[in-house]
Amino acid sequence: MNKRMILRHTKGGIFIHWFNAACWFILLFTGLGLIQNPQLQPLGQWYPNALRAVFGGGGLLIIHLAVAVTWLLVWLVFIIANWSSHVVPFLAQVFTLKPGRDMEWMIKKNLQMTLGYKAMAFFMKPLGLGAKIPDQEYYNAGQKVAAQVMLLGALVLAVTGAIMLRGKYFMTAPLADIAWVQWAITIHYIAAGVTFGILLVHIFMAAIAKEERPAFWSMFSGEVPEEYARHHHKLWYDEVAIKTSDQ
Amino acid sequence: MANQKLAMVIDAPTCLDCKGCLAACKVANNVPDGKWRNWIKGADPERRASSPVVFQPGNCMQCDKPTCVEACPTGATYKNQADGTVVINRTLCIGCGQCLAACPYGARFKNTDLGVADKCDFCAERRKFGLEPACVSTCPTKSRKFGDLNDANSEVAKLLKANRAVRVANEQTRTDPNIYYLGEPGPTNWTVQARMPEAFDFWRRLADPVVKAVVGLSGLGVLAMLGKQLAMPKDAPPADGGAHEEAGHE
Ligand code: HEM
Repeated sequence: MNKRMILRHTKGGIFIHWFNAACWFILLFTGLGLIQNPQLQPLGQWYPNALRAVFGGGGLLIIHLAVAVTWLLVWLVFIIANWSSHVVPFLAQVFTLKPGRDMEWMIKKNLQMTLGYKAMAFFMKPLGLGAKIPDQEYYNAGQKVAAQVMLLGALVLAVTGAIMLRGKYFMTAPLADIAWVQWAITIHYIAAGVTFGILLVHIFMAAIAKEERPAFWSMFSGEVPEEYARHHHKLWYDEVAIKTSDQ
Repeated sequence: MANQKLAMVIDAPTCLDCKGCLAACKVANNVPDGKWRNWIKGADPERRASSPVVFQPGNCMQCDKPTCVEACPTGATYKNQADGTVVINRTLCIGCGQCLAACPYGARFKNTDLGVADKCDFCAERRKFGLEPACVSTCPTKSRKFGDLNDANSEVAKLLKANRAVRVANEQTRTDPNIYYLGEPGPTNWTVQARMPEAFDFWRRLADPVVKAVVGLSGLGVLAMLGKQLAMPKDAPPADGGAHEEAGHE
């Protein structure tokens, strides 16, 4: 029974995840390279200078815009085509947090991931809490919060990006709207930076954390071992188990 | 070739306000309707009463400390080290207009045909063919003179050596302009100050440190998790009432 596999991600879901991730990487690297102002460039001038040596300054902007527009169009098609099958269930899942349970999960999981089970149990004792990490649904609370930030970040990036694009290519009124474009740039940067902060954790959990290794493989194969589902996403596992035993 | 320091020396009293320089510039540089890369400021009313009337022709001053460059996020606008002009790489300009407010002279405008900032570049296209800027060539009284200040034999260098020249600048925004005026060009205190857009100020003062803090904290968290994973490879729920173990689950 331990080797039985459970379907976790559909082919469509896997495609859009990796397509999205690839676009984000290109957009992040080219976007950072577009900032060449010593007061604003967080990495220092060597970064934009190096990228411009390879792609040319204009090339950088063209790649950034082309990938951004492709990203947006593919997402729009995906969202429309999968509205009820993927999008709504995903949003419903990601935006339902149970405050008590999920707060407890957050605190315990963070302690356990950084200090280990023993230290976590030690800190929980005075609070009258056991060492048991609360059972989680299809996504755990960390994944939900990460997904919320990434979704919001993507939305803000798309909107501010569209405002900038309009500022450059479609704005015919002389200067009336220019403050919009300027604020769009600043907010675009903030959204990219905050989302990148969350992505560091996301990528660590997905690609490096040992206990989430089965989830990593599932982003290719679509399946997780039953054992993993039972341990990491108990509430989801129970649901699936009931469904399958009903049949 | 040694670096040039291209500049204009304008003999203000000889300007007739004929606006030939404005027209020539517009044609030479394809400047859109309603926009100008250069100008002729009228004499102030007080001086108008007394003769002679003096005009103050101008254009981008190709400043040595350009506030427009300071305000450009992408580096599209920069000081060309080879000839000292302040230029715009149109392929990199995102049309955000931050340089417009940052120029105290209002020398920049948004070229809505191209979606980019636009300004005088001392006619870079014409200079490639050995021509002077259009406004200089066309000036009937030769009020506008153009050349390389680093070349002691140039007309402009000689003029500056032989005459008292003034520059027109704002007291608060010292941009070190490269247009010099001979004669009495009218008010030399330029009243407009360079202004950094609010969004730009917000970015460098607040957004920059906040984003660095968020990414830094997140990075630290990841390092802590990585360290723990390496230090305690066998970390597992305690046997008693284990973190994941459910009673009755065999
Ligand atoms: C090397 C880069 C990445 C890796 C290895 C990776 C891996 C994964 C894996 C394995 C999952 C499935 C988790 C599970 O089944 O429980 C996942 C989910 C997800 N990924 Fe990624 N990912 C990467 C980049 C990105 C990027 C760039 C984004 C978005 C900007 C992203 C957004 C998401 C979202 C929203 C989910 C849904 C669940 C959650 O929030 O964790 N991923 N990722």
